[in-house]
Amino acid sequence: MDERILIVEDDAETAAAVRAVVEGMGCSVDHCDTLDAGIAAATSTPYKVIVLDRMLPGGDGVEAMARIRAGGSTALILILSALGRAANRVEGLEKGADDYLPKPFEPDELRARVRALLRRGTMQVLDNDLLVFGDLEIRLKARTVHVKRTHVAVSPKEFELITYFARNAGQVVTRMQLLENVWNLHFDPGTNVVDVHVGRLRRKLEEAGSLAIQTARGEGYVFAPLPGSPG
Amino acid sequence: MISRRPLAARATLRLAAVMALAVTLLSLGAMALQYRLVEARLMQAQRALLSADLDGFAALYDQRRIIALRQAIDYRAAAATGGEMLLLLDRNGTVLAGTRGGWPEGLQAEGDSFAVEPARAFSEAGTRWLAVARDLPGGFPLLVARSLQPVDDTLAAMRRGMLALLAAMLVAGGVVGWLAARSVMGRIGRLNDLADRVAEGALDARLPGPRSPDEFGLLETHVHGMLDRIQNLNRATHRLSDTIAHELRTPLNRMLLKLSRIEGQEDLAADLRAEMRQAIRMFDSLLDISRAEADQGSGGGLVPVDLSAVAGEVWELYEPLAEDKGLDAQALIAPGLRVLGDRNLIAQLLSNLLDNAIKYCAKGDLLTLTVAEAGDSILMRVADTGPGLPADMRGAAFERFVRADRDRGIKGHGLGLALVRAIAARHGARLTLPEGNTGFTLEILWPRLQQSD
Repeated sequence: MDERILIVEDDAETAAAVRAVVEGMGCSVDHCDTLDAGIAAATSTPYKVIVLDRMLPGGDGVEAMARIRAGGSTALILILSALGRAANRVEGLEKGADDYLPKPFEPDELRARVRALLRRGTMQVLDNDLLVFGDLEIRLKARTVHVKRTHVAVSPKEFELITYFARNAGQVVTRMQLLENVWNLHFDPGTNVVDVHVGRLRRKLEEAGSLAIQTARGEGYVFAPLPGSPG
Repeated sequence: MISRRPLAARATLRLAAVMALAVTLLSLGAMALQYRLVEARLMQAQRALLSADLDGFAALYDQRRIIALRQAIDYRAAAATGGEMLLLLDRNGTVLAGTRGGWPEGLQAEGDSFAVEPARAFSEAGTRWLAVARDLPGGFPLLVARSLQPVDDTLAAMRRGMLALLAAMLVAGGVVGWLAARSVMGRIGRLNDLADRVAEGALDARLPGPRSPDEFGLLETHVHGMLDRIQNLNRATHRLSDTIAHELRTPLNRMLLKLSRIEGQEDLAADLRAEMRQAIRMFDSLLDISRAEADQGSGGGLVPVDLSAVAGEVWELYEPLAEDKGLDAQALIAPGLRVLGDRNLIAQLLSNLLDNAIKYCAKGDLLTLTVAEAGDSILMRVADTGPGLPADMRGAAFERFVRADRDRGIKGHGLGLALVRAIAARHGARLTLPEGNTGFTLEILWPRLQQSD
């Protein structure tokens, strides 16, 4: 994965941590520590992803997104900010951010989010309808899930859940990502409410013979259906 | 918004009526005084004329007694104009001379001199007379009287004039009072409207146009100064909470990043991470409460939201949790009920309530979420048959960091209900804890958004 990623972050330690994460993913990294330098870099170089802080020397990253877009950048923007309340996240997303991760963050979660952005739109879709992961099939139009040709009865929400997992197959997906993308909720309820839903879906899949959903160390889940997975 | 129009109109009317009445009463007093003075003056003039007549008759009487008096009265009677009454009788009551044929009924002769006092007023055929009746020596009753008709005519004309003047003054006082009161009430009304707008959250509302150089202008300037100050403080508070978030999260972020580099003590690192996450969540709740309270009553940022749909989604999120805990859970949500709101905040409110209910209830308890039409409002009720609030906590349940002693073992910071209250207030919704129910019941009345809105 040789993608160029721009980090606009004034805190040196955070910038170093972000750099470590994305370099670990095989991406090349540029770093700016002021907003103006960030905008100049974003509009002069084709980046795939921009990790943008708020409350930077020179202004608010969220307010600068319009200028970055106006400058011709098509990069996906991940806001990484200490302003982490629901209202801040919604504001950031509504003003054009592609994702919003509040500080403090776990490097794993940052990795998951950047990967999700890098892989956005690259999901393999066969016949515009069928997603196949080994024994597991997801039919988008019929909204049905099959394991080894056997129909797995999932609720509408569980279908959205497995579709989101499928779009991010192989990557760590955090609880907050699930809340934001499946339930469109931008606050942390602080309970295991997401785990209960994922647990139910996982049980249904396991009963049908698929161990597609694994718990990821620390932060979330990985959807990793392997061809010929046991069961 | 509170409509003050009828109130202002009533106040204007009252003020106008009071002013008109005050002007009228003062004028009435002045006129009454004037009337009495004129009346006294006119009576005095009549009395002077009467006195002159009597002096003349007295002089003649001194010369030749009754004979001269009789001639003089005859002479005067021949030229009488009707404004005077003269009569002289003999001792048998026969008319010797005069302007009339007999002695007026009921009039007593008093004394035997030609002095003007005592004089008597008496009425005859609708005319008042000022009369001096004497019984002259030898038994000759004498009557000299002057008609009070000119006095009465003048006073009647004066009364008519005064009445017309009073009516005019009442009308003029009313009109002037109305105009003055309307101007005053208008100035007060402007300030009231401004206060209404500010109370609704428009802290930047100001009165347009120049200030007048009077007390009202000064009052407006003071109110504007006050609002500027409040607005600045509000802005500073918002800036401060953002800055606090930034300044506290940055070191927390560094700590978390360093934690991820620690190897060999994964359990300890995980515990620390969990603790930090708890602290951040608590901190977020506090900031959310402050922000919601600061935005209370402000319509800014609120959009039409399908409350039924949001309630349905949040219920769907929590229902499995309730089921897993063995609760009997049911949702009665009427469709399509809309409010002006913030979807995310409403979801957070409901999430807090359902989370609390599930946390405190035990297997077999009943949890019910109701969203129903209630006139102009929408009733949202979360009711459970769990342990409920301890009686001594009812008053303080919505304060920050308030938790029952028995709940110390259950995870939480006592911020959930405080946030619920702040979010409800942000939406202008009324929150109550109905008494008399077993378990915990909380009701929120949301102002309903009509389809046409």
